[in-house]
Amino acid sequence: MSEIGSDDLKAMVLAIAARIADSRERLNRLDAALGDGDHGASISGAFELAASEVADLPDPKPSEIWLTTAQSLMNGMGGASGALFGTLFLKGGAAIRGKERLVKADLNQLWAASLAGVKARGKAEIGDKTMVDALEPAVLAFAANDNIADAWAAAAEAASNGAESTRALIARQGRAKYLGERGIGHQDPGATTIALMFEALDNYWREMTNGKA
Amino acid sequence: MSARVHKLINQPENILSDMLDGFCAAYGDIARLTDEGLVVRATPKDPGKVALVIGCGSGHEPAMIGWIGQGLFDVNIAGEIFTAPGPERILQGIKAADRGAGVLVCVSHHAGDLLNAELALELCEMEGLSNVDMVVLYDDISSAPKGREPERRGTAGLFFVWKMLGAFCEGDGDLAAAKALAEKVRDNTRSLAMSLSSCASPVTGEVMFEMPEDEMEIGMGLHGEMGMGRQKALSARETIDLMLPPILEDLPFQAGDEVLVLLNNSGSMTLMELFILYKRVAEKLAQAGISVYKSWIGPYATTQEMAGFALSLCRVDDELKALWDAPAKGAYMKQL
Repeated sequence: MSEIGSDDLKAMVLAIAARIADSRERLNRLDAALGDGDHGASISGAFELAASEVADLPDPKPSEIWLTTAQSLMNGMGGASGALFGTLFLKGGAAIRGKERLVKADLNQLWAASLAGVKARGKAEIGDKTMVDALEPAVLAFAANDNIADAWAAAAEAASNGAESTRALIARQGRAKYLGERGIGHQDPGATTIALMFEALDNYWREMTNGKA
Repeated sequence: MSARVHKLINQPENILSDMLDGFCAAYGDIARLTDEGLVVRATPKDPGKVALVIGCGSGHEPAMIGWIGQGLFDVNIAGEIFTAPGPERILQGIKAADRGAGVLVCVSHHAGDLLNAELALELCEMEGLSNVDMVVLYDDISSAPKGREPERRGTAGLFFVWKMLGAFCEGDGDLAAAKALAEKVRDNTRSLAMSLSSCASPVTGEVMFEMPEDEMEIGMGLHGEMGMGRQKALSARETIDLMLPPILEDLPFQAGDEVLVLLNNSGSMTLMELFILYKRVAEKLAQAGISVYKSWIGPYATTQEMAGFALSLCRVDDELKALWDAPAKGAYMKQL
């Protein structure tokens, strides 16, 4: 399997929503140490909305699935998370506009546009203790592997390592910035959500390809 | 000191709608809840005047629903607890507020408020709504050093901007003039907050941070964000003697200046404590040769039941004093 169609993309949004719903309490606890403690509640609610809106789309193009997810996240969640996770899907969806099926090169473009969009919107770079610390290595790892299955696996591992790396950092963006050194030792909840997203995408791909083998 | 965790609410997912329903039921002559969930003036301002809109997280009541009304804001887009509303809701608010002379979107500087306002302005551009602008407001000296003011967060001292900008937008000034006025008040305002206790998130029911009983935090944000550091809790006099000098040095406020003073209750301070604190503020300002034009003491922007206060000063000239004295008829901001 080397192409991705709308059915896959729909299922991928549902898989992300399910993985994040499982992690709701963990994300709340991470956010409690660095923010106001509701990241798990708000992002799982927003992805639940996205999953139901996406499931209701009749015969959508790939870009519509990502744009619908973006709108659900932005307007269902609000806050900095809504704007940034929404931008991730908005820019990714815009990058695949007009395509019926996606090949590896299209996915590379989708993730590159997502990363560029998030960095521009949040003005964050690697090392700022934000979702970029998980997203950038994941996007680079994805692009570095020509084989799709290898790319998902490498991206998931890179995102997980990136999220772990935020533990040692001092935040330079978002509410956690005001904590300064007191935030050291706590993993960033936004970066953790990115890691969960890529883990869900990798798992979805493994199950799909095993089923079809 | 542990926070009170039990809150008298119904289902946590209905906090926002229950609160807005109750507020508008109580103050129906001032504010009205639209079908879209916007809080708007019961009687819109006359056409041809600049409209003022703010989207912000809830949980800080009476901010900002209490600031809807004549001489103040036109529309508040209330987000979920401590969470700025998304761009489509802000766009709805902008459309609802427009009286044909432009709309100024006010942003109390926090990442979520800023990003969603930027997205909403991009939506306006896509829809061809051209006479819309935003102004980013900040006042908290603890959140970034002098020289990096635009990185500072918006806290209780924006009180002065809301009041004077609201008065300005009842006049004939245009959108650019309204924005310039907001920036003028902002650039003459400085705040510093402190806290003695934590508070509980109404969403999760969890205490937002731990605070030992005999300590205090100086430089607290409006969402329980940490400030400059912990230290032993002090007396009222010692607390003001610690907090006022960095505020005065930051602008700087100087002998001969005239100021407005706000002592904002962040939740569960007693008025008794605030009056005792104010006594020392007045003494210190007099010693510094700074005269107080007017003072306000009370809960204007709260952080649930957190025990703490913010001290805010705004330097005023004749233009700002006239705007300060102009009438305002919000549910929680009245100037007769």
